[in-house]
Amino acid sequence: MSILNSRASNLPHHDFPISDDGLLFPGTAESRLIHALHSRFGEMALAAGAEELQFPTVIAEEILDRSEYFRSFPHYASAVNSPNKTGRYFLSPAVCYHCYQLLMNSVLAGDTVLTCQGRCFRAESANDSHLWEFTMREIVFFGGDSFVRAQCDAWKQKIVGWAAQLGLTVNLAPATDPFFAGEIRGKKLLQQIKGLKYELTAPGLSGTDVPVASFNLHERFFTSRFEVTLTGGEPAHSGCVAFGIERWCMALLAQHGVNQALRRVEESDDLR
Amino acid sequence: MGSNSTGASAPLNPTVEILLRFVNEDLLAGSQEKVAPDTALFDEGRIDSLKILRLIAFLEVRSGKKIPDELIVMDRFRTIETIAKNFPDR
Repeated sequence: MSILNSRASNLPHHDFPISDDGLLFPGTAESRLIHALHSRFGEMALAAGAEELQFPTVIAEEILDRSEYFRSFPHYASAVNSPNKTGRYFLSPAVCYHCYQLLMNSVLAGDTVLTCQGRCFRAESANDSHLWEFTMREIVFFGGDSFVRAQCDAWKQKIVGWAAQLGLTVNLAPATDPFFAGEIRGKKLLQQIKGLKYELTAPGLSGTDVPVASFNLHERFFTSRFEVTLTGGEPAHSGCVAFGIERWCMALLAQHGVNQALRRVEESDDLR
Repeated sequence: MGSNSTGASAPLNPTVEILLRFVNEDLLAGSQEKVAPDTALFDEGRIDSLKILRLIAFLEVRSGKKIPDELIVMDRFRTIETIAKNFPDR
C-alpha cells in the first residue's frame, strides 16, 4: 500500500484534508477531479471567445491599493517579501486585479473578454470551506454597460445549466458581501438594489452551502481607477465571473463522491 | 438625465410629492440634475451608498416601520413612484 493510500484510509469525509491554517492536501483521485475542473472551466472560457492570460501569484501593493482592496478587506491580505525590497507585494487575493493592471491607461478598440486562472490567497478564518490558498478561474469582461451585463447573464445561465448536467444542487441568489469599499451597509444595499453581484452556492462537505461561483458587475469602479476607456473617451464598464475550483470539488464530493463526480465532469458538455 | 417635473401635469400623489422634494432638494442638493417621479433613480450614479442610507432612513421615519434589508430591491426602488407605492406613509 502506498503512503497516499494508507493516508486516505484514515481520513474523515473524503481524501480532502484541510489543515488548521486553511491549506488543502487532496488525495490522488481528488487531485484528478480538481484537474478535470480546471480543464472544463478553461475550455468553457475559451469556447466563449475569451483570451487566456497567465499572471504571477504575487501582486504589487499599488494595484490592490488602487482597487481599494485594503479598504474593503484589510484583514484578508497576505504580504510577501520581494527580492529587490523596492515595494510591497502580496499574494494575490483574486486573479482579475492583474487584468486591470494590464489594461491600465488603455483605450479599448472593442468589447474585450479575458480569462485567467491562478492561485489566490485570502486569510479568512480557515474552515472546511474557507481555504487560505485556493484556485480561481475568472472570465473578465470590458466594454459598454449592455455588453458586460449580457456576458454576466449568459454565464449565469450557462453555469446553472452545467451544474444541472452534473446533477449538482445549486442556488443562484444576490450576494450580500460587498466587493466595493467604504460605507459597508450602504454599499451592500446599493449592490443589492442594482443586482451587481450574484453568487451560486452548493452544499459542501459539512452540509452547509458554500459559494462556488460569483457573477459580478463592477460598473465603472475598476475602469475609472485604472483609466480604461472606450474609443469615445467614456470609461469602460467591467464585470467578471469567478469560479472557486476547490469549492466545486467540495460540492461534487459531498453530493456524488469522487468517482461519480469525476465521471460526470469528464463526460459533461460545455454548453457552448 | 432625468426628466424635469415642472411641466403642467395632474396633481401628484402626496407621498410622491414628499419623496420628490426630499430627493431633489436634499439628496441631490447641489446637483444640477433633478429627477421626476418616473426617473430611474439608480442610473448614472445618482444615488450613492450614503444617499441610499439617507433615503431608507427617511422612508422608515415616514412609515414608522423598519425596512428589512431583503425588501431593498430594484423592483421596490426603481423610481420615486415605485417607492411611494411600496412604502406608503403611515
